[in-house]
Amino acid sequence: MDYLYFPGCTLYTKAKNFDQTARNCSLLLGFELKELKNWTCCGATFPLATDNIMALLPPSRILATAREEGTALTTLCAICFNVIKRTNRLIQGDVEKRDKINNFIEKNYQGDLQVLHYLEILKKDIGFPQLKEKVKKPLAGLKAAAYYGCMLLRPFEEMEFDDKEKPALFEEFLEALGAKAIEFPYKIECCGSFQSVGSPDVATECAYKILGSAIKNGAEAMVSTCPMCTFNIDHKQSDIKQKYLDFNPIPVFYFTQLLGVAMGLDYQTLGFDQNAVDPIPLLKEKGLL
Amino acid sequence: MSYRLYGFVTQPFRVDLRMEEIKLETVTSVGKVDSSFLEEATKKSGEDLSLCYQCLKCTAGCPTAPYMDIRPNNIIRMIQMGMKREVLGSSAIWLCVSCETCGTRCPNKIDIGVLMDALREMAIKEGVPAREKNIHLLHEAFVQSIRRGGRVHEATMLIDYKLRSKDFMTDLIPGMMLFLKGKIPLLPSFIKGREEIKRIFERCTKEK
Repeated sequence: MDYLYFPGCTLYTKAKNFDQTARNCSLLLGFELKELKNWTCCGATFPLATDNIMALLPPSRILATAREEGTALTTLCAICFNVIKRTNRLIQGDVEKRDKINNFIEKNYQGDLQVLHYLEILKKDIGFPQLKEKVKKPLAGLKAAAYYGCMLLRPFEEMEFDDKEKPALFEEFLEALGAKAIEFPYKIECCGSFQSVGSPDVATECAYKILGSAIKNGAEAMVSTCPMCTFNIDHKQSDIKQKYLDFNPIPVFYFTQLLGVAMGLDYQTLGFDQNAVDPIPLLKEKGLL
Repeated sequence: MSYRLYGFVTQPFRVDLRMEEIKLETVTSVGKVDSSFLEEATKKSGEDLSLCYQCLKCTAGCPTAPYMDIRPNNIIRMIQMGMKREVLGSSAIWLCVSCETCGTRCPNKIDIGVLMDALREMAIKEGVPAREKNIHLLHEAFVQSIRRGGRVHEATMLIDYKLRSKDFMTDLIPGMMLFLKGKIPLLPSFIKGREEIKRIFERCTKEK
């Protein structure tokens, strides 16, 4: 079965390894990600103020063009998933705004598209027990911390992804790959998001709290679903190291990279050269490469 | 000046000295409060702000609260008190990253993330200079990047941001590292149908 797929800007630039590994893994799992034609940026933040129609137009245009090609749209980036899913719900429920949006984007979209995240496909369509059977190289002995961040979960009534304070889907995924999922209290805490550009110190502090908490609970690596979070918790580690001398950097994976390792993909196709903290020594130590 | 005087709940952790700098000019005397700002903010955000009973759950969970000049719970209290200039001129509204932890935990279902976004829009509309001006400039550079090519291209967006903020040195080295790792391609990827994007932008800004 094929899934219509929206990569998003960052997966074409900063997070190419995320995009590539997801595509390669999906082929091994028996489905293909079919890229949406002529997609644009999703807008990157869902407009919360009630009268901001402009910011709703990019995700609406994506939804409308996707509906012309299929009935479901898959995303990988947690931010795109959040923006597109919430816009879809808004279009479903608000007739006045729907008409206004359709007028601007010159389409007729009624909100009848299903917005999915890659992890949801793995859980619902493939199933974690079946995934476990397909794993060629179980990640035995790897203690990984599943970091959700904000965008997959909140606001939970709209995202309907998992529990609002104690989600478990991501951990179940890691356990299916054979890794040991570490529990840590900061797994749903915000990484500081775009403050890493405007006020870098704020984002560094947020990242330090999250990483520190994971390390304290025994994590050897972090796993993320979001390029923004990954930038903050991976690339900021050199800044953290300068500020907190006792801090020991740990690698941060995209979940598809670990999936790739477990599925037995050649490690040179997994884009580890683009990770800020080199994960190869850890994987070698665990006998996974 | 003490905040307790006006019924503010004092912060349970890390009192920020910058709080003292804010002059409480709008509140002339206790019992005389201008409610027009409360009404305006309620209408724009769609949240019932009068329900807040200062339980501080929003501030306790907020990842950026320790760096804000006014904490989220106090933002609501100050709106109730009609302190428009102080609220719209605060750094707090620009430091909010819409992570929605506050709204998820609020016992009165006030979504403060929504409120903060409404306040940012009000501040821009009223021409109040942003206390965290770089964040506003980043938002502008981002929108311009979409307007140009339909997709965001980090290299040109960040150059645009650097030109706007005139802050060339911060993050120069991490930026170069990303570039060298091949994470930021030199040329933007443009989509077909850029005319359509341009038209949508033009119509929306005109008719809004």
